[in-house]
Amino acid sequence: MEGLLFNVNNGYIEGIVRGYRNNLLTGQNYNNLVQCDTIDDLKLQLGPAYGDFLASLPPNPSTSSLAARTTDKLISEFRYVRANAVGSLAKFIDFLTYGYMIDNVALLITGTLHERDTRELLERCHPLGWFETMPVLCVATNIEELYNSVLIETPLAPYFKGSLSHQDLDELNIEIVRNTLYKNYLEDFHNFVNTDPEMAGTPTAEVMTEILEFEADRRAINITLNSFGTELSKADRKKLYPAFGRLYPEGSYMLSRADDIEGVRLAVDGVGDYKSYFEATGMGQNSTGAGNMSGGAGSDGKSLEDLFYQKEMEISKGAFTRQFTFAIVYAWVKLREQEIRNITWIAECIAQNQKERIGNYISVF
Amino acid sequence: MAAPPSAYKDRQFLAVIGDEDSVTGLLLAGIGHVTPPPDSQKNFLVVDTKTSNEAIEEAFERFTTERKDIGILLINQHIADRIRHRVDTYTAAFPSLLEIPSKDHPYDPEKDSVLRRVRRLFGE
Amino acid sequence: MSGAQNREAVFPTRQSLGLMKAKLKGAQTGHDLLKRKSEALTKRFREITRRIDEAKRKMGRVMQIAAFSLAEVTYAVGGDIGYQVQESAKSARFRVRTKQENVSGVFLPAFESYTTEGNNDFGLTGLGKGGQQVQRCRETYARAVETLVELASLQTAFVILDEVIKVVNRRVNAIEHVIIPRTENTIKYINSELDELDREEFFRLKKVQNKKQRDTAAQDAEMRAKRDAKTAANQAEDNKENKGSQDILGEQEDADVIF
Repeated sequence: MEGLLFNVNNGYIEGIVRGYRNNLLTGQNYNNLVQCDTIDDLKLQLGPAYGDFLASLPPNPSTSSLAARTTDKLISEFRYVRANAVGSLAKFIDFLTYGYMIDNVALLITGTLHERDTRELLERCHPLGWFETMPVLCVATNIEELYNSVLIETPLAPYFKGSLSHQDLDELNIEIVRNTLYKNYLEDFHNFVNTDPEMAGTPTAEVMTEILEFEADRRAINITLNSFGTELSKADRKKLYPAFGRLYPEGSYMLSRADDIEGVRLAVDGVGDYKSYFEATGMGQNSTGAGNMSGGAGSDGKSLEDLFYQKEMEISKGAFTRQFTFAIVYAWVKLREQEIRNITWIAECIAQNQKERIGNYISVF
Repeated sequence: MAAPPSAYKDRQFLAVIGDEDSVTGLLLAGIGHVTPPPDSQKNFLVVDTKTSNEAIEEAFERFTTERKDIGILLINQHIADRIRHRVDTYTAAFPSLLEIPSKDHPYDPEKDSVLRRVRRLFGE
Repeated sequence: MSGAQNREAVFPTRQSLGLMKAKLKGAQTGHDLLKRKSEALTKRFREITRRIDEAKRKMGRVMQIAAFSLAEVTYAVGGDIGYQVQESAKSARFRVRTKQENVSGVFLPAFESYTTEGNNDFGLTGLGKGGQQVQRCRETYARAVETLVELASLQTAFVILDEVIKVVNRRVNAIEHVIIPRTENTIKYINSELDELDREEFFRLKKVQNKKQRDTAAQDAEMRAKRDAKTAANQAEDNKENKGSQDILGEQEDADVIF
């Protein structure tokens, strides 16, 4: 049934996004990229896919400027899609940007806390998380003003309300603030795709639920792993777990009580995918697994994060097998982001002469 | 003989003048220190293309002569190049001045002020 | 180098000669000692410069690995953590202390790194994702900084040794080329003065002796003259009748007695 009227409003967007998807670099392209000896070669190889966006780069650009240009392309395409979207899809795309907005607001909070000139920070903000009223936030000189402006001016207000007060912004570590917001955001997004009349019960809800559940689980696991050895208490940690996902509620509960990697492994045992990741990375058996892999010194095995990225990409790729769904927009953005990360990674490897690890990118096509 | 112990016993911090990546990395290693208010002073300076040479020189001056708690000053080589005359004329033992490579600018021993002194001494 | 200018202003006496000789001996011993010190320091210095050279190259590699691990972080976090890291830095976890090492009487300070426990400004960085990479990157950078600290120690030693060696060499040269020749000159001068004095003394003594002999001769002559006069008077009394005053003149015709 959902296919009957979908194209009336959203067919164009779907077509465009599928077109964009076909522009993504393939395994063959990546094979060519890793053969490059200089950044200029790389630039040349990227020519067909990125064209104009790389034209303004100087010869042998730095990897960061390369990443910035490739991001520019994503931004301009994204804006085009957003501008053509209507109704629920428009709202869906807005939701997509909230994640980046959280990062930007967190940045501004950091700046305000340290009494920096937050206007300088605007250019550091992620363009996808840009909202029109953001410069207004820069007017705030103390954290209370900022808190109030965030509540009034941004769509993030519901995420602050109820879980964070302006004193919290002052006292809590910015990472905890960020993750609290993100948790609220994920829950809200999850709720949105499952209750919006245009989406509930459609492939959008199905695919997005899968993606968001995975995202929620990933965050929960990462937060748990990364909190070992820090001042983050178990009770506080528990507050950062999103209240849905494949691990929820039993797994989350066990995660909240985990003291070490072994505990995390037990908690995720119930979910086949995650269990196999832990086995693949050898974490759990050897509790120092991640810690003693010296950076850059040839750890050819994939890390847990790599496997999570891989999984995310597979889910995103899978989203394109469905029709009449908004989820492809989300999937496309994620795939594109991964592509930018891949390019940056390959560029770094070339620039720093670390060819042996150049194959660490994730390609799904 | 050359330096009385009082000249260095309080020097316990490292300072850094570098590009964003170098500073971030070194801060991650835990060298960052901000003195308590009111006169909060950082022991690091992030230099980008917008930073003026005067600002770099000022920071250099601050880390080398004004502050007495800095034992080692790290400076990216490409930034040292921008204030090369100051770096080359700096001969004091404390704080020790170290030119370090940055991500985008590999290390060039030819430019290093100390290595050049080494070369000169041995006439190589 | 020659002449009266290049010597110390002393009176050429035997006492100062003794002093000068002691001084020369001291200078020579000092010269030997300093020379040996300078050689020891130079040896050390060369070793240090060699190690600096090595360490600088090593640093290049280590920093590259560290920079690469930061790239990994950027990859995993999917964004820039620079600003956040800069702002959350509060108290240095990684610090240095100095200790001393004694090389031939020169105190070389060396840096030693240590980490203060229990402050962790970045423990939560990358909490949501990338935290493991962040931790790894921190370890990598910490190791890199250790290398840097090592290098800084070497470099400080280099700077100080350089200075000390210059001072020592200056002293060696000063002793060798100024103090020793000067002392030697002074000794020569004193010796020559003393010789001169000796000769003068000898000459004087001779003169005195001459004079004494002349005086003695004169006295002898006088005495003999008196004696002769006496005899002559006796004779004159005898010859009074014959010649009278003529005899006095005749007596003068007697040959001088030469000794």
